[in-house]
Amino acid sequence: MITEIADRSATASKPQGIPAGLDDVQAGHLRRIIDLSELLPEDWSGMMGRSTLQEDFDALRFQLAYMSYALALCHVHRLPAAPVVFRKPFERLIGKMLSQDVWTYWHYVSTGNGPMNRALGELPAKWNPVEVDNIMYSAYIQSMALLYHYLFDDPKFAQEGGLSFKLQPLFWGNGGQTFPYDEKSLTQHIYWNMVEKGYLGVACEPNCVFQICNQPAIFGFRLHDFLYGGTMAEEVTEGYRRAWADFGILDAAGHYNIVVQEQEHVLLQRPPAPWADFWLGALMHMWDPEGVKAAYPGQMAHWAQKGPNETLWIPPSIRPEGMGPETSNALDFGWAAVCASEVGDQETLDKLLAYADGFLTPTWNDGAFYYRRRDGWLNDSGQLHAMDPHTGNALLAYARLNVPDGLRQLYAQPLDAARFDDPALVDMTDGLDVRVAYYDRDRSILNVVIRPGRADRNDAELTVSNVWGRGAWRLFVDGDHVATGDQTDVTITRGAVSARRSENGLVLRLPIAAEVAIRLECAA
Amino acid sequence: MIDVGFALTDHDERPVDLSSYAGKWLLVFFGFTHCRMVCPRNLAKLSSVLEKLSAIANGIVPLYITVDPERDTPERMKDWLLDHYPRFTGLTGDRTSIDAARSQFRVFAERRASGDEAGGYDVPHSALTYLIGPDGEYRTHFNESVSDDEIAARIAGLMRPETSDAEH
Repeated sequence: MITEIADRSATASKPQGIPAGLDDVQAGHLRRIIDLSELLPEDWSGMMGRSTLQEDFDALRFQLAYMSYALALCHVHRLPAAPVVFRKPFERLIGKMLSQDVWTYWHYVSTGNGPMNRALGELPAKWNPVEVDNIMYSAYIQSMALLYHYLFDDPKFAQEGGLSFKLQPLFWGNGGQTFPYDEKSLTQHIYWNMVEKGYLGVACEPNCVFQICNQPAIFGFRLHDFLYGGTMAEEVTEGYRRAWADFGILDAAGHYNIVVQEQEHVLLQRPPAPWADFWLGALMHMWDPEGVKAAYPGQMAHWAQKGPNETLWIPPSIRPEGMGPETSNALDFGWAAVCASEVGDQETLDKLLAYADGFLTPTWNDGAFYYRRRDGWLNDSGQLHAMDPHTGNALLAYARLNVPDGLRQLYAQPLDAARFDDPALVDMTDGLDVRVAYYDRDRSILNVVIRPGRADRNDAELTVSNVWGRGAWRLFVDGDHVATGDQTDVTITRGAVSARRSENGLVLRLPIAAEVAIRLECAA
Repeated sequence: MIDVGFALTDHDERPVDLSSYAGKWLLVFFGFTHCRMVCPRNLAKLSSVLEKLSAIANGIVPLYITVDPERDTPERMKDWLLDHYPRFTGLTGDRTSIDAARSQFRVFAERRASGDEAGGYDVPHSALTYLIGPDGEYRTHFNESVSDDEIAARIAGLMRPETSDAEH
């Protein structure tokens, strides 16, 4: 059987166009996201900014959502053959998103009666976080659940009640309230809300329709189309263009308009902001890449400031005193980096990240990399000084883990369903650091590079799926031929590597003192 | 998501509600007779769909519900529909009844001033077509980009098993 496999070891270097894998810093960002996903329920250590009651742009829901998007982009574009790295963290982030800590802000925000929704008067306080408005939460949990299903072929959140918002205050006794949804019913709910609004969008706070916060819903509609069929995303984006034509997606100066007051049907006049330009640009790029790429250069030229040593930074949007609690953040900076990564402006991205590494708060913690929180907007030179947990944990990780057109590619074309039949890492020793994982379907080779990371340096175990029933195979570790098998079992092992058949695939046990390159050559 | 219901007046000035069409399939479109683009385009397409469905269409009642009751009287709707889209029955009512029907079908419509004439206005509105089953339950809807061939095929597909069941 083994002779059926041509010797491809001499030509097994990475062909062009294959996933890039991770460098040290990218692997550090990924480790940080995994660490945060592993925190005990309702432990938000390292994720809390100065309290803004979860209503500001660095709220937990945004961190959780953009960490999950970053996981998705990293999995699809960088480590496609390593679902084991991403699946459980992604699922845990969704679990955290359902925590009442994350969404009960809606109870007081739903009452409105603020500067942008006073026309509606004081509204009854609501507990259900997805029923009306609040697209700034509902679209994220919707798109995260659909993305999880799409990436891992797991309909867990499609089950009835799979997305249930449970509220059980101590003094309510044993009852509490539960609002049961699932990925399909929530998508239908958001879709019909969008239809009722003429596709302008669903409001965040009552009466306030933000362009930005409707983009994740569009992403969700697209994923729903991929999973269940239909053309929801196409319908909504066409309607969205028509609806926003009344106000302009962009203003006359080339900045994105931000928010429309629903009842008054007027665009709220407010100065442009870098976070608005770059956040919306990064997301809208998925369905309007031409429009975003046309607007982006002028926006970046307008906002970017030269920093020391050929770096770039973005001036923060400092709110007027008295509008909300005193706080500081680097969100304008973080979103600029994300947008640069998405449109493929590598030079700007590099300069922004160089500023972050040189003048902000880069931090390593046992293999995890992030930027720790630092309060205070500007330094003595008048340059960006602040760092908030959303930028430090999620946005700069997203910017580094993304690839040019990363979100655009996810949106534009469905991933090949046959990927679930390719050999892939589906289980492994905790703490391993996976740097490369892709299956070269043209040559029937799985390439994996791992490092010990936090795992025991003497021994690691990996499980590769979809090995059996596809013919003979040979396994190489650091170029040495260490095992051979046929379509039903392992036939030969050599050296310190053991290999056996299990229910889930081919289980390998091997010593890893340092980086190890694994190559599994299957019958072509 | 769609809880079908309405209590309106048809273009022959008869009061109608969902029970008036019990046992029939309904093909429902919302619009207004002064509409210059969306309604003509969609009503023409839906008329073509009904042609393609041939005999199957006998089991369908096509309804056109106005979002502009101030101008769309029963008489106005009847004249306009008979002239242009004779397969359709127009439904109108007072503002409260129309808003209630819109809400049931989750239809967007918003009156906007039009520059064409003094006091003139348009009513931008949703362009969804709803298919309601003979039991009065929502079955599906079609957005504007779906072709007449596809709508016809999907309606035929949805009606076939229920028609077959009824025949046995």
